[in-house]
Amino acid sequence: MYKQVLSSLERKRPILLDGAMGTELVRRGVRWHKHGLLTDAPAVRELHAEYLTAGADVIRTNTFQLNPRIYLNVFRNSEHMRHIGAPGLHELAERLLRISVQLAREAMIRTRRDGSAVIAGVLSPLEHCFRPDMAPPADVARREHQAQAQVFAEEKVDLLLLDGMNTIREAKAALKAGLAVGLPVWVGFVLGPEGDLLSREPLLDAVVEIEREGADAVFFTAAPPADIAKALRRMKGSCSLPCGGLAQIGRFSPPSWKFEFFPQFIDTDEWPAERYASEAYRWREDGASLLGGGFGTSPQHIAALRAKLDHDDRSPGR
Amino acid sequence: MSYRAIAERLDRGQVVLLDGGIGTEILRRNVTWADHQLADRPDFVRDIHADYIRAGADVISTNSFQLCQRAFFNHFRDEAHRRHIGARDLESRADELLTASVRLAQEARDRVAPPRPVAVAAAVTTLEWCFRPDLAPTVENARSEYERIFRTVKAAGADLVLLETINSVTEARAALEQANDAGLPCWISFVCDDRGLLFTGESFAHAVSTLEPLGVGAILLNCAPPDDITAGLNQLSPHARIPIGAYAHVGRFDPPEWMFTDEYPPAKYLEVATTWHSIGARILGGCCGTTPEHIAALDPLHMN
Repeated sequence: MYKQVLSSLERKRPILLDGAMGTELVRRGVRWHKHGLLTDAPAVRELHAEYLTAGADVIRTNTFQLNPRIYLNVFRNSEHMRHIGAPGLHELAERLLRISVQLAREAMIRTRRDGSAVIAGVLSPLEHCFRPDMAPPADVARREHQAQAQVFAEEKVDLLLLDGMNTIREAKAALKAGLAVGLPVWVGFVLGPEGDLLSREPLLDAVVEIEREGADAVFFTAAPPADIAKALRRMKGSCSLPCGGLAQIGRFSPPSWKFEFFPQFIDTDEWPAERYASEAYRWREDGASLLGGGFGTSPQHIAALRAKLDHDDRSPGR
Repeated sequence: MSYRAIAERLDRGQVVLLDGGIGTEILRRNVTWADHQLADRPDFVRDIHADYIRAGADVISTNSFQLCQRAFFNHFRDEAHRRHIGARDLESRADELLTASVRLAQEARDRVAPPRPVAVAAAVTTLEWCFRPDLAPTVENARSEYERIFRTVKAAGADLVLLETINSVTEARAALEQANDAGLPCWISFVCDDRGLLFTGESFAHAVSTLEPLGVGAILLNCAPPDDITAGLNQLSPHARIPIGAYAHVGRFDPPEWMFTDEYPPAKYLEVATTWHSIGARILGGCCGTTPEHIAALDPLHMN
């Protein structure tokens, strides 16, 4: 099935991703610990199913900003974690990754979309997605991403999706890690307010480098719709990879007690589904073939976008 | 006013009881602790304070663990990024929540109207994560950030500042000097390891010799398992002339939440607190995972 998706992309036919997992789960009242994967597994599975029913061709595991560091970082060190931490924290991230794939797969089966949709295992920056200054060195990033990519490979995801990457260095490290375990890789970059990468590295450099390293597609994310449009326009003509956008809607509202990324976006009603779909649909004119929803979006947004794409009747796998 | 009564109790060698966990108590009562719930569930927070006052606490601490502007700003690359995609109230949100945290504690005191003086301590933590001294800001930044926090809680009417889970003498000193400038009595509580040392490796002898001359009101230990707290008290006690105290956590840190265990039920917590009392601790309470029942169980020491 992945081959079909890729060949559609290469022919510039649109592929629809899902919308946000974390922000939508939090909006629905899921208590955000362990990404809801243990305590609210039915809600996670249900949201995947809603995205599939809405018409997504690709669903993403609920693993954005989930890696061993998010637990380790709140202790003095590994020994301290063992000393005062709950049992099993050292293995928790891996365990959650496996569960995330299971839940996505169960949703595919439940909605009878296995065979017409694919599962993307989500890797994201090892540190906070909005803090490029904290990105680890390349060798460390490569090692840690590869350990996670290996888990996704074992769980047989269809592709690896690097979501919210904020530096070229870490994106390349994670990309190489994904390719090393035999998975195709798509790379999503966070845009900064200046219109380049959040790290202020030039967009074009980022795209050229990950194309050279073997990514199958690139997209821009974690910025308002207008920024995504601008980035796509700038890349038009200079990017031969399939490209796309997943815009955020609303404003990031971090909680008062949490240090890693917490998916809480407010004021999302400025972008109701129809408005978002119209905006994202226009990105196609600037060469985007990968469309979906970023932070703050919901199954309604994806359903509206699906309707617009289906109106063209050029979408594959439907 | 309330603080003077508390200080006099300590001068007489009597025990002063603190409250127990607040964040973990919110969790135990089945509410999320990603936010402090100061704006969303004020009644809920007020009720927890009230339960601690009824359990015998002389000093209740505000529900403001790690609540500071930096905690919000750290989620963005920089100011330009924050203004571009962040919620619009992030500049002032910490101030507003800190003010609310003091008010809720005061309202709980008014509502319970206990027959003894009860002081409201503004709970203030390290500016960066409490277990990570390696992340601590520069002294200059620490000073200006503590200045803003103390100005806010002083204006809200806090009786004292309780600096909790502090991990370095350097940050403790910067904070203490700002508390002095703000005219707020200041107690400083350190987290310690199983050898009874600060997380920076600094000793309590060093902490005492630095902070006592600057007028710290008390030095305490918190947010470590009871045995580690005992080890820390044994290090601290020989050096301190000012009152000392302790409040341990019970259970396990299960980030971002807490795992409650039955390792230290209230009666057993009284036993270990009795040990701390024999080492010289006169300020006793509970940290993460302790409940109003744990504080109530300390009553025999309180009456002493």
